[in-house]
Amino acid sequence: MAQPFMKKDDDLDDEAEYSPFLGIEKWAALQEARVFNDPQLDPRRCCQVITKLLYLLNQGETFTKTESTEVFFAVTKLFQSIDLGLRRMVYLMIKELSPCADEVIIVTSSLMKDMNSKTDMYRANSIRVLCRITDGTLLTQIERYLKQAIVDKNPVVASAALVSGIHLLQTNPEIVKRWSNEVQEAMQSRVALVQFHALALLHQIRLNDRLAVSKLVTSLTKGTVRSPLAQCLLIRYISQVICDSAGNTPPGERPFYDYLDSCLRRGGEMVNFEAARAITELNGVTNQELTPAITVLQYFLLSSNPVKKFAAIRTLNKVAMTHPMAVTSCNIEMESLISDQNRSIATLAITTLLKTGNESSIDRLMKQITNFMSEIADEFKIVVVEAIRSLCMKFPLKYRSLMNFLSNILREEGGFEYKKAIADSIVILIRDMPDAKESGLLHLCEFIEDCEFTYLSTQILHFLGIEGPTTADPSKYIRYIYNRVHLENATVRASAVSTLAKFGAMVDSLKPRIFVLLRRCLFDADDEVRDRATLYMNTLGADGAVVETGGDASEFLFKSLDVPLVNLETSLKNYEPSDKHFDISSVPKEVKVKPLAEKKAPSKKPTGLGAPRRGPTSTGTVDAYERLLSSIPEFSSFGKLFKSSSPVELTEAETEYAVTVVKHIFDHHVVFQYNCTNTIPEQFLENVTVIVDASEAEEFSEVASKPLRSLPYDSPGQTFVAFEKPEGVPAAGKFSNILRFIVKEVDPSTGETDDDGVDDEYQLEELEVVAADYMQKVGVSNFLNAWENMNPDSERIDEYGLGQRESLADAVNAVINLLGMQPCEGTGVVPSNSRSHACLLSGVFIGNVKVLVRLSFGIDGQKEVAMKLAVRSDDESISNAIHEIVASG
Amino acid sequence: MILAVLFANSVGNILVERFNGVPAEERLHWRSFLVKLGADNLKGVKNEELLVACHKSVYIVYTVLGDVSIFVVGKDEYDELALSEVIFVITSAVKDVCGKPPTERLFLDKYGRICLCLDEIVWTGLLENTEKDRIKRLIRLKPPTEF
Repeated sequence: MAQPFMKKDDDLDDEAEYSPFLGIEKWAALQEARVFNDPQLDPRRCCQVITKLLYLLNQGETFTKTESTEVFFAVTKLFQSIDLGLRRMVYLMIKELSPCADEVIIVTSSLMKDMNSKTDMYRANSIRVLCRITDGTLLTQIERYLKQAIVDKNPVVASAALVSGIHLLQTNPEIVKRWSNEVQEAMQSRVALVQFHALALLHQIRLNDRLAVSKLVTSLTKGTVRSPLAQCLLIRYISQVICDSAGNTPPGERPFYDYLDSCLRRGGEMVNFEAARAITELNGVTNQELTPAITVLQYFLLSSNPVKKFAAIRTLNKVAMTHPMAVTSCNIEMESLISDQNRSIATLAITTLLKTGNESSIDRLMKQITNFMSEIADEFKIVVVEAIRSLCMKFPLKYRSLMNFLSNILREEGGFEYKKAIADSIVILIRDMPDAKESGLLHLCEFIEDCEFTYLSTQILHFLGIEGPTTADPSKYIRYIYNRVHLENATVRASAVSTLAKFGAMVDSLKPRIFVLLRRCLFDADDEVRDRATLYMNTLGADGAVVETGGDASEFLFKSLDVPLVNLETSLKNYEPSDKHFDISSVPKEVKVKPLAEKKAPSKKPTGLGAPRRGPTSTGTVDAYERLLSSIPEFSSFGKLFKSSSPVELTEAETEYAVTVVKHIFDHHVVFQYNCTNTIPEQFLENVTVIVDASEAEEFSEVASKPLRSLPYDSPGQTFVAFEKPEGVPAAGKFSNILRFIVKEVDPSTGETDDDGVDDEYQLEELEVVAADYMQKVGVSNFLNAWENMNPDSERIDEYGLGQRESLADAVNAVINLLGMQPCEGTGVVPSNSRSHACLLSGVFIGNVKVLVRLSFGIDGQKEVAMKLAVRSDDESISNAIHEIVASG
Repeated sequence: MILAVLFANSVGNILVERFNGVPAEERLHWRSFLVKLGADNLKGVKNEELLVACHKSVYIVYTVLGDVSIFVVGKDEYDELALSEVIFVITSAVKDVCGKPPTERLFLDKYGRICLCLDEIVWTGLLENTEKDRIKRLIRLKPPTEF
């Protein structure tokens, strides 16, 4: 069992401080719940047990269907007790357990009895519980009581019925809509909260009838809405009405403005603020209309309450986008907020000031921002950088100071996203402002001298290649570019070579010097850099003489290939060297996307943070493998390729022969693709095969082998071995490998090969086929929907002890790797110092069986990890197989 | 809609979490996001001093009360100001139940009552009761005094 409560171990030293729930276990708490069945109920004890169960539920623990049903039935027995405290707990517990439709019947009569009780509080609470657990049929039975409750004299009962109505409207709108008269009566209540809840429900009932909503708000503006919360609601509804009737209002008229204006001065701060915000959002609002609202917001900026300051500055920030002049009156207050402790407030203040500031205040503002930048996190810095970019567009004459600011912050410490935002801003300024080009390019050049991000370096080099050659003195950039060839990694070096070539192509006078530099690149350690240098020297042609570059060469250098890179890669991999040259026009231009099969879940309302989604796997590589294998006659009958592993190294780095293996999994077969490279220039290998010993893989029997005819130096080739295996079983095993070949000597100076060869062998590392090889990593966008759409009968649950582990993350990764599945919703990452973690995995098992796994981990003070594993799949036997994999892993 | 009310102890372990209208698979994200937000910003903050953040159209108001951090997440009509009302009600109710800003132990000792208070304050995502004295009576099934 997962043990999420061991967190208290840290506090064991301090006895007085440790939790009353220390060591609490679900099974023990459930067993304790048997006291609910005692003939002589002990209310105090029962309350304690319910608290324990609540604690478990509040910690994210879930009860199985059986556990939940048992507790629910036991809790219903507690209706016998007349103890008030216990009854209140019972109401809460029933709501938390959310019993299913066939169980509800057990408790209905007790709740109905309470609903008609003379004790008001029984009535209020039983309404809330019944409405939580009820369905349409029961609702018609209790509708009469609910209508009475809405107009009950006791405000708690009325509120309970009204709030229940708001929820029931989602599921049973036709019933709740019949309560309109009662709700309207409740609107007249003297109790503020009842009025608030009644207004919310009344508006919901009439939501789809614009005229009715308009009448409602018009009548309420004339009446007295006492509750500040209800007034806020009313202002929001008014905003909606104004927005909906935008086209039908005669010009010059501003309905409801007077009411909103009056709300700026009455009803408390909450109402004032809501009215101010509503005015700022009016369509086509004038500066005159805005002034009183801005004054209210200005007052909020001076508040000591950070929430009020935040709300005000957020609203002013929005106003500044359309009416910057209207906000200038708040500049002094906003400047003082730059030093606010809350960095969100400070950033909003800065970005608002950048919008409202005039040309003369920019320099002063920039000085303030420079100090501020060192104190805030990257995410806020990015917002500031974007605001400065817009400011530069607005005041082009100020580009120098803004560009200087950007170049200064570019030199300081910062993460990738931040640096990217700055570099992007400079690039945009260069593109849009010709005057800024020279200085901007030099700033970028200086940045790549000390840039730790390969992506940014290559992007900037690319940009330099396009913009640099057209400047007044292109030669001054060459030094920065060529430095990259000396000092950077292969990716950046290759980019630098391309950029140099572009300068050579565009600036004829530089061509001879560029040729000298490109020639030096021919000796680079990386083959891509060498290849590019060779290619560009040939493309530019004329042996570096000062001549104009041909149109074809310029087109090749400056235009895009016009085909998706994935397709080009696949086509190149499939191309077999022959007399016929590779034809780029044969590369398909459409990008093939493999859709992910997933049942469409019923539409759900959008909720908070969207869970991140993983992209599809690299279908290009899989397609290329599939094509390659189906073109080999020995394997063409194996059917559809299920999965190909990533290459596994069978030799150490820098040995004579480099061999990696890719495991291709079919329904009945496994094919090992050995990618071999001969790294000895003096050798030429022939008849290369891999001898595989499958004695430790009993379920596999070798059926075919495809040798590699020749393996010249530094020219990779493949040899294959195929095995038969039982279908549908995740057969595992170890394979030892020996590379066998005929070696012939080569004279490196002439390239001639000896006719006589010698048989030789080379021992390779062992290779394993594991359960994870039979699982495709296929994510789902909404795990819960996918889980619920799967047959619950296929579910298999068990608990495992994973022994002592370095950390919880270590245990989680081990299980993910063992199963080879895709972690969903970001649950593959374990927050540091977590004592418990839940992980959601998704995948497709061989035979195209969809599998979903829910894992709950817990770690105790001795670093012993326990895990609960629940599996659902399209095939029950696969659910069992997943458990077997974990049990044997 | 009030999307979440979450209580955590000083080292970020969850004491109470109540979500409304948030799918189960997104709850983990929220939990870790809020705990990290608290760890980054709540150090040295005074009792009941409010902190605020927003992410797209979702608002978060959070604070410290004794050894406990409290987070309230909302969207739509529950913006930062409405949430500050909600968190004010919650902190008042917790202080009332515990008699003072609670230590973790005291909070757990009063766990059942605090759950009842929360049940009175937030009814599946909507603010229901706002006055601590009234809540104090309601959790004992006593009618409000004004009635």
